Amino acid sequence: MTTAASVITAAQSAATQSATPAVAWRHRHLIDVDVVTWPEIELIMRMTDEMKGVLARPIRRVPALNGRRVTTLFYEASTRTRVSFETAARNLSADVVSVSTATSSVTKGESLVDTVRTLEALGTEILVMRHSVSGAPYLAAEVFGGHVLNGGDGWHAHPTQALLDLYTMRSHLPGGDLHGRKVAIVGDILHSRVARSNIWLLTAAGADLWLCGPATLLRGMDRWAAAWSGGAIPGHGRFNVTSDIEAALRDADVVMGLRIQRERMQSGLLPSLREYAARFQLNAERVALAKPEAIVMHPGPMNEGVEISPDVAVSGRSVITDQVANGVAVRMALLYLLAGGHEVPQGEVAR
Amino acid sequence: MTANANGGRHGATGPRPVLAAGARIGDTVGRFELERAWLVDPVSGREGPGEIVVADGILESIVWLEAAEAAGVTDRGVIVAPGFFDLHAHFREPGFEDAETVASGSAAAAHGGFTAVALMPNTSPAIDEPGILERIRSAARASGSPVEVLAYGAVSAGRAGEQLSAMGELADAGVLGYSDDGAPIRSPKLLRSALLYAGMLGLPVVEHAEDSDLTAGAEAHEGYVASVMGLAGWPAAAEVGAVSRDLAVLADALGDEPRARLHLTHVSTAAALDLVRRAKATGLPVTCDVTPHHLALTDEWIAGARRWGWEALGADGEPRDPWADAALTAAPYDTSLRVNPPLGTAADAAACLAALLDGTADAVATDHAPHTVVDKEVEFGSAASGISGIETALGVLLGLVDAGRLPLSRAIAALTTGPAGVVAAARRTSGISAARPRGLIEGAPADLVVFDRSDRWPVTPASLRSKGKNSPLIGRELPGRVLLTIAGGRLAYEDPNAGDEEA
Repeated sequence: MTTAASVITAAQSAATQSATPAVAWRHRHLIDVDVVTWPEIELIMRMTDEMKGVLARPIRRVPALNGRRVTTLFYEASTRTRVSFETAARNLSADVVSVSTATSSVTKGESLVDTVRTLEALGTEILVMRHSVSGAPYLAAEVFGGHVLNGGDGWHAHPTQALLDLYTMRSHLPGGDLHGRKVAIVGDILHSRVARSNIWLLTAAGADLWLCGPATLLRGMDRWAAAWSGGAIPGHGRFNVTSDIEAALRDADVVMGLRIQRERMQSGLLPSLREYAARFQLNAERVALAKPEAIVMHPGPMNEGVEISPDVAVSGRSVITDQVANGVAVRMALLYLLAGGHEVPQGEVAR
Repeated sequence: MTANANGGRHGATGPRPVLAAGARIGDTVGRFELERAWLVDPVSGREGPGEIVVADGILESIVWLEAAEAAGVTDRGVIVAPGFFDLHAHFREPGFEDAETVASGSAAAAHGGFTAVALMPNTSPAIDEPGILERIRSAARASGSPVEVLAYGAVSAGRAGEQLSAMGELADAGVLGYSDDGAPIRSPKLLRSALLYAGMLGLPVVEHAEDSDLTAGAEAHEGYVASVMGLAGWPAAAEVGAVSRDLAVLADALGDEPRARLHLTHVSTAAALDLVRRAKATGLPVTCDVTPHHLALTDEWIAGARRWGWEALGADGEPRDPWADAALTAAPYDTSLRVNPPLGTAADAAACLAALLDGTADAVATDHAPHTVVDKEVEFGSAASGISGIETALGVLLGLVDAGRLPLSRAIAALTTGPAGVVAAARRTSGISAARPRGLIEGAPADLVVFDRSDRWPVTPASLRSKGKNSPLIGRELPGRVLLTIAGGRLAYEDPNAGDEEA
């Protein structure tokens, strides 16, 4: 898509000519960050910078994906994620179709495979998918002729969230580098696709990653951490798993809360939300254990008063609204790359 | 017609055993001679070069060759063994004929070298009274296949787990035992009653050991792979706890009915096999089987690895890391790998093998569980559980043999005398040949399989006779192409390429 690329680059007033070698985007789909190399992550970050530039302009729209058809297929209600993807697609001038369980034949028992084939026959080129079953986007990708962009599957992966988290962290940390920076993710790790994608991404970024929560919501994570403890996975470092909230937060550079859902009590994993809040809530006192300049993050939607106190959520340390804004830019970048903006000369990106 | 079976080179280069032209499935084998093959007789414990002659359906002669005559005949070429007996298969009829029928299942069994199968009663309606059993037998007769189709009766009426099925009437009709397979017997009280009543009838209870409270919503073996992939974990404790309970109830029931017998099917975890090992040592009348897939496949296949279990075990006895090894080559979340109990780690697979080697496991049973595309081409967590495995069992076991992990004779015994021993109590019921000793017996109706250990065959949707194409082995080649299966003196399967000089 040289035309789309030139649309973007022409918009860059500071575009420069450079002989720096290009990093090719070689993925047809983006289902998780586990298969993405670090140079590709850097490419996504640079492309997100460009998209931030687009969003800073009075008219936040470029014709990069003019006439391209993007469908959001959501098997799980998530207004904010869906709106973020659709805003991103519209900012790139794509045609957007929105399918959700409430309005489609999914509720009538139509299979995912049949739905995906139908959407393809109707002209969908990029399928943004949210599903409650882990691995569902791989099944869609198997039968879909276009590109699948995962908007979250089960407990497995939420790559755009992790990428926007990384982008937000880099934009707030001095030097924009996570190497050696302590990141604490606190909450329901077991059921969290955000945590899983962030394990891949933040250990690749060199962060000192800590996962914290009640033992019932950490099940299995210690085994994962132990398996990676010796630096066994190329490109990924070790991470820590603990129920000790103070150890997790002490001297952290980044503190991230995850949503606690009520059904965790019904399934016998938590005594009560009150008890969770008493022991694990990110409140002012606990967040004070982190570095003075530490930032507070949350993928949303928040249960204020449960996993995070209202004052922390809106404090000067909170970058939660930045996450939302960056989410649109990251999703624009990924839609653009998947649609065929294959190569971006490194030197053209203003940093 | 005769055939020089050990043509020598790898692959099917020599002349193949071949029957009279035009022989059809179900026909009595008029005359079949095989010279210079490797014979395995698990009843006598003898194996070696030999020759057989089948005439008018009878295994007329077995000649063991002297060393001087046997030059070049090895256990890596054409092998003759007694027909296999599968203790655990699902042929889905009545009720789910789009997944399998008695006819298609019998064809698949014969292709896998099996001449007798024991079907689980989780049909619709369930086999909980003799009428359903008769319907299955009628379908078997109509199929024309000579594969002996046997069945278990349900433990509980409608497999609902509440009241006992018509156990006595089912015994009179010739069931091999009782099982609510597909689900465990949840109530220990009902299990106790079933063990007592079945014991009185001289038949075993076959238990699918699972604590379904612990497995509610579970998708994959709880461990490293499930954690990374975000799959709900199926704890080993679900099987270990259930086996522990079952053994305690059995011990208790024996006080009242010394003939009570328990068979645990598809045991898959190291700890549960240890419990069985110890129970056997104390003399409890318990038997168990393991499946080919739990012997050879592991949970890392769900992540996309495609190496055998014995290749995935580190020198320390711990499973290797497929991510660290860059061993992930296939797409993840392949639903053909969803099975109950779930595939375990390489250490669990090694434990299944150890149990087979030391006799803790009496048999290998396939748990052949065909499913339709509709039930499998869905999200992993929504997919039906089960592997279509009756045609790949021999190849998987030969993989273990080729790797030097399992003696050929033990592999054959696990498919013949092992399962026959489990249901030996049913021998008193007339007409059930599966429960007879499964050996190469002169003068008896020929019941045997001929396969070429070094001839690899491709597992493809077309090569599988089963309607269930839900095999994770599709796309691979397995050793041990079956050339001929004779069941009860009649032709059950013949390799389509038989007789081709350049097959």
